[in-house]
Amino acid sequence: MATLELKGVKKSFGAVNVIHDMTLEVRDGELIVFVGPSGCGKSTMLRMIAGLETLTQGQISIGGKRVDHLPPTDRGIAMVFQSYALYPHKDVRGNLGFALKHAGVDKKEIEERVNNASEILGLSDLMTRKPRELSGGQRQRVAIGRAIVREPDVFLFDEPLSNLDAALRVHMRVEILKLHQRLGNTMVYVTHDQVEAMTLADRIVVFKDGQVEQVGTPLELYRKPANKFVAGFIGSPAMNFVNANAVDSAVMVAGTKLCSSKSAAGEVTLGVRPEHLILTEDGPFSGVVSVFEHLGGEAFLHMTLPDGQLLVAKLDGENSFSTGQPCSLGIRPEHCHVFNKEGYRIAE
Amino acid sequence: MRTLAKSGTEQTHRTPVRWYILVFLAPATLIYTVFAIYPIIESLRLSLYQAGDGQGIFVGIANYAKLFGEPLWADQFWNAFKNNVLLFVMHMLIQNPIALALAALLSIPNLKGAAAYRTIFFLPTLLSVVVVGFIWQLILSPLWGISPAFMNWLGVGSFFKPWLGLESSALITITLISIWQYVGIPLMLFYAALLNVPEETIEAARIDGLNGWWIFWKVKLPLILPTLGLVGILTYIGNFTASFDLIYSIQGGLAGPDYSTDVMGTFLFRTFFGFQAQLGDVYMGATVASALFFIILVGVGLYLFGVQRRLQRYDS
Amino acid sequence: MLIKERLSNAGIHTVLIAYSLLALFPLALILINSFKSRKAIFREPMGLPIGDSFSGKGYASVLSNSDFPLYFSNSLTVTCVSLVLILLLGAMAAHALSEYRFPGDTFIGIYLVLGIMVPIRLGTVALLELIVNLGLANTLTALILVYTAQGLPIAIFIFTEFLRSVSREIKDSARIDGLSEYRIFFEVVIPLVRPVIATVAVFSMIPIWNDLWFPLILSPGEETRTVTLGVQQFIGQYTVNWGAVLASLSVAIVPVLVMYIIFSKQLIRGITAGAVKG
Ligand SMILES: Nc1ncnc2c1ncn2[C@@H]1O[C@H](COP(=O)(O)OP(=O)(O)OP(=O)(O)O)[C@@H](O)[C@H]1O
Ligand SMILES: [Mg+2]
Repeated sequence: MATLELKGVKKSFGAVNVIHDMTLEVRDGELIVFVGPSGCGKSTMLRMIAGLETLTQGQISIGGKRVDHLPPTDRGIAMVFQSYALYPHKDVRGNLGFALKHAGVDKKEIEERVNNASEILGLSDLMTRKPRELSGGQRQRVAIGRAIVREPDVFLFDEPLSNLDAALRVHMRVEILKLHQRLGNTMVYVTHDQVEAMTLADRIVVFKDGQVEQVGTPLELYRKPANKFVAGFIGSPAMNFVNANAVDSAVMVAGTKLCSSKSAAGEVTLGVRPEHLILTEDGPFSGVVSVFEHLGGEAFLHMTLPDGQLLVAKLDGENSFSTGQPCSLGIRPEHCHVFNKEGYRIAE
Repeated sequence: MRTLAKSGTEQTHRTPVRWYILVFLAPATLIYTVFAIYPIIESLRLSLYQAGDGQGIFVGIANYAKLFGEPLWADQFWNAFKNNVLLFVMHMLIQNPIALALAALLSIPNLKGAAAYRTIFFLPTLLSVVVVGFIWQLILSPLWGISPAFMNWLGVGSFFKPWLGLESSALITITLISIWQYVGIPLMLFYAALLNVPEETIEAARIDGLNGWWIFWKVKLPLILPTLGLVGILTYIGNFTASFDLIYSIQGGLAGPDYSTDVMGTFLFRTFFGFQAQLGDVYMGATVASALFFIILVGVGLYLFGVQRRLQRYDS
Repeated sequence: MLIKERLSNAGIHTVLIAYSLLALFPLALILINSFKSRKAIFREPMGLPIGDSFSGKGYASVLSNSDFPLYFSNSLTVTCVSLVLILLLGAMAAHALSEYRFPGDTFIGIYLVLGIMVPIRLGTVALLELIVNLGLANTLTALILVYTAQGLPIAIFIFTEFLRSVSREIKDSARIDGLSEYRIFFEVVIPLVRPVIATVAVFSMIPIWNDLWFPLILSPGEETRTVTLGVQQFIGQYTVNWGAVLASLSVAIVPVLVMYIIFSKQLIRGITAGAVKG
């Protein structure tokens, strides 16, 4: 049980700056998720928290105590890796108990904690198997079990589910969520899958090129993305961006006012989520259908505007369109996101 | 604020010395440096000296001038060099194609008995050249070998020749024996490379309408080109150094008959230790070794910059 | 279609069996004749050692009359100690090279594998001088040190390639579990490299056991002679005692054979595990 504090953390490998300046407070018992595209520094940040990577600058505290000078074991953390990182020559029981045995915890206590963890994760029948005799999901469970056994203050997960197939990933995601509810520990979870981020997180930290773009609850990020990058990253299919004009605090597309924004002026970008577009009789977006994808319960309509811009709309599965057919879409003003030329959100 | 700033600077300066890296690296580096690299460099240095009172005297490239200038030395050198080149060419033309062919057959999926064949083909490689040399003398000797009787039995007795004893055939016979022994090494390397060709690639080729033979030529062979290059350079190095053992144990230090099987290794050995009437000479020995060093360097250089660069690696 | 397939199958096996015979025949010849009396060897070199042609005399004279047991223990000592050193020191160096970044790491990595391309034999002249100066002439220690130096580059190369392909997360995980860097090496890395140990062992052992050059030059003395050198000299001395010569050859073959058969399965697995990529 502990808070986690990052203060002005910087990291560079030689001349390459990987983390620019990171300051963040994670509350006790919070599940925080780092998301961002590949190579943006999520793993590096996590590894610095774990103590596997040194800091170039800044401080890290866990439970109010500075830990950035401590070796990994003494930080009160446990980490679950993408590749599971199980010891191939030890069986499940051996893997679960290894850290405790090494730390000199007495046998009965180890036994108790290992059994407890294996029960939580449903590993009890697999205790004598070697990692190579386990399925991917089972291996991941052992990896998580190994972390639980250590009873850490902070759990660190580095893309723990990316090596699993889609169905298993959904299943394990739910298990991790349940685990968090049950143990109530502080957790830091790295992923590049925004669905995982949205479903698991108490708060999400969006990374890009070693910089934090936005920190907030999933809904905050969804409803009020701070910039175009976050807006495009959160939500699926991704948000549409359309060129627009702001005149006298009215945001116009093709001569039609869509919403109003007091501080907007000149050229702006209008962001519209596919699920917020609705079919209309005449505009403000008119064009022709370029692709119509039917998924059963819902459908994606890809529309080309006269000036060549593309829009994707998420529609009800009842609809049906054919390629080349003219169509028309609209949006409610409260669903409009307006960004300035630099890509930042403009307040209403 | 003050404490914060202080600890911040402390931190950037505090990188503990990682002694364990030294502990892991030092023993290997030390033994290797003292017993492999130092002697080679020291030999290069000695090649610039000649015997004097007590210590050697620096003579510049006089030893090399002698080695390449005086007919007594130059004839021996070029004879050994020529034999080495022949040895290398014959290994490339005979040993490596055989190895490739056998490896290709062995790597046919689901081949029955593949493990047994593999073990058998590698067996001769395991043997000491002393053993191999003796085995083949036992077979080929005109006096006490079994070939004469065996060939008589086949009715081709009149074709028997003391192959190891004739100037015209000694080197090629030695080559064939060497191939018999060492074919296992390129074979293993080819075999491993062929097994590493991804199954999907082969299946894709099959779908494209290629059959077994063409798959080998058009798909597998290009993919194992780097291994071909590696085998080439290993053959080259082996011929210039390891060929000593077989020739010494079959033909002795004089590499008979009449130096027809003399190679750089035997030449170096004779120069260094002396043989019969000839006296051993440390400095000329070092000179021959250094010449050999440069020959190998040229080969390795050609390989690294010419062959290997062009042969693209298709890793993973 | 089926017939054609069968025919080509038969063709393949014919080729492979033919080459197998070529590879085995000379070996069989030695083994068979080592159990025969001198007369039988010459009368019928191809005959099996059965009935009155059988004779264990060759082995008896090798094992009793000569210094063979000594040679044998010399070879075994040299080979085993060198092998242990090559494997241990090689794995340690490879671990350092693949795991840590430090100034000069690339240089040391290249330096340590140079020996693959530059055979140590080229330094023989100076090496002999060095060994004599160290007072190690005619000792097994000299051979062990030289063979270790000779075997390290290829071992380091194979281990490093292999360790680079192993995920570093497992070592990080051990770090979080509180293991020191040394214990990570012994408890995590050593078990990890087990599949390639066989490959390295076989590739290092063959040239050591069979070497003629260094025993001849560095320790030709009676007390430190290896089997290979011993057999070579033995053949010269006892050309009359055929049974003994053949028996000594067989004795020299056995250890490598046993080792190879033990490791043969892992050998190929190790090579194909990407260890020797070329
Ligand atoms: N040891 C290192 N030396 C040099 N550069 C490194 C090192 N480790 C990581 N990097 C670089 O730092 C950047 C961030 O890497 P990091 O692994 O943190 O990305 P990531 O966000 O976890 O990406 P992914 O989603 O692909 O895992 C990358 O550009 C990477 O190339
Ligand atoms: Mg990562």
